[in-house]
Amino acid sequence: MNMPTFTRDDAVKLVLARLARLGQELSQPALAQADEQTRLFGEASPLDSIGLVTLMSDLEDDIHKACGVWVIIADEKAMSRLTSPFRRVGLLADHIVELVAAARA
Amino acid sequence: MSVWFEQRLQDCGPALAMQGPWGDCTYADLARLQAAVRIDLQALALDGPAVFAIVGEHEPAAVAWLFALAAAGHSVAPLAGNLAEHPGKLGEIGAQWIITSAGFGWTLLPRMSEPSAHAAFGQLRTQGHAGLVLFSSGTSGRPKVMVQDLTVLLSTYQDRRRNRLPVLALLGFDHIGGLNTLLGALATGSTLVVPADRSAAVVAAAIAHYQVAVLPASPTFLNLLLVSGEHQTHDLSSLRVITYGTEPMPSGLLSRLRAAFPRVRFIQTFGTSETGIIRTESPDADSTFIRFVDPSTEWKVVDDELWLRSLTQVGGYLDTRDGAGKFTSDGWFRTGDKVELGPEGTLRILGRLGEVINVGGEKLMPAEVESVILNLPLVLDCRVRGEANALVGQAVVAEVVAAPAADHEQLRAAIRNACRRALAAHKVPTRVRFVAAVSGERLKKIR
Repeated sequence: MNMPTFTRDDAVKLVLARLARLGQELSQPALAQADEQTRLFGEASPLDSIGLVTLMSDLEDDIHKACGVWVIIADEKAMSRLTSPFRRVGLLADHIVELVAAARA
Repeated sequence: MSVWFEQRLQDCGPALAMQGPWGDCTYADLARLQAAVRIDLQALALDGPAVFAIVGEHEPAAVAWLFALAAAGHSVAPLAGNLAEHPGKLGEIGAQWIITSAGFGWTLLPRMSEPSAHAAFGQLRTQGHAGLVLFSSGTSGRPKVMVQDLTVLLSTYQDRRRNRLPVLALLGFDHIGGLNTLLGALATGSTLVVPADRSAAVVAAAIAHYQVAVLPASPTFLNLLLVSGEHQTHDLSSLRVITYGTEPMPSGLLSRLRAAFPRVRFIQTFGTSETGIIRTESPDADSTFIRFVDPSTEWKVVDDELWLRSLTQVGGYLDTRDGAGKFTSDGWFRTGDKVELGPEGTLRILGRLGEVINVGGEKLMPAEVESVILNLPLVLDCRVRGEANALVGQAVVAEVVAAPAADHEQLRAAIRNACRRALAAHKVPTRVRFVAAVSGERLKKIR
């Protein structure tokens, strides 16, 4: 079966859309202004650990809707990376593209 | 031995003992059934106590057998559903005989010739006491088998005053809570009303039709009753008392129930398969605290866990591995329930110790989150549990049954924001999953 390719661009859009929604929910409009360089976690990040876990959970739902596969974003591989994929939006998008490709393989 | 039962059979003759899908059964009918059961029992020519399985629901034949076997010092394993469901259980307890009950009738089948060699039965035999075999869901998935002294259990119903308030049987014949409802109804000479099934619609119709006054139920059932609107479709004005137990009562649900049933008294009950049902009182109608008022039970709280020691507690588990660590050498039972002490000797059940969710070292009980979520108008039901999470150890997951009209995206945000307002940050569900039905009863055991 031919599945439409899930590109890095798609992943970035997905993350930014979810951040904007979460920003609405948390009354943090700044999240709607995020881009690839926006920090997700750590210093100067608008999200605390619970906020980050919330973002992941919702994104897992979004990915399922968009690609038909379930992935676990905070997996062991992600945790053991030298540069955490949770640091910036762009890194998270890279990680998601990999996860989706692996789940479809 | 169960003298009160014989007394009630004589005193209450024409009064209704049970009403259900099989028709009406008076106390005189039960006496006649019991006489027929005795003839069957004598025909077996047993030379000592045996273990009998009764497969059935709350039915006249099953009840007649229960009391006849108790009076003769045998042990009884009540099993719900049908025979084919229980091959493993029958083997595990070493049942020699199987009674399948159907309304007023029964069939008696031999199963094996040798009496059960389990030590728990041997002890009852030397005392000349009857036994009650109960199954409880173990954490390993394999049911735990407990043997209780049925003679002692029955004796605790001895001094109940007579009343004529019909009681509805919501919990099954194989459940300590269901047996408590049955024994309580017969000990007071009142009527046990048995619904054809346990859906809110059928139960509400049975309450209206049979003028039920006492409804023992779980908070989950009561929530479903309100959500279904069946309490408005049927005339439930006969209800005087609703008792609730088996799981923590969310305070929001209790307020909604009090508003829906302003004339009904709400009483919290408490019990475990291991200790039997314990008589309690509530400090006031709006309180989810209880006070134990049972002369046969002692209690204390050790490290937030409720410990009980009661006259009616089990003699032991059939598989002694199941009992490891549950009972202390001086007879205290560790309930596994996390409790909070209140004023004037009261306490409140917070949930199961094993249910504690640990989010990055900060702990919470599912019930406190559930009670917030259940208060939202578009939420029909909800269960909260922990899920392994690589970032924070465990994450809080809410499984929610939403009203058909609900927009999931908006409701998800509303649920989390309601939790953010009412709870500490780590208690807010990070995942909200919309499901058609929540997975089973969170608390399998009665409490």
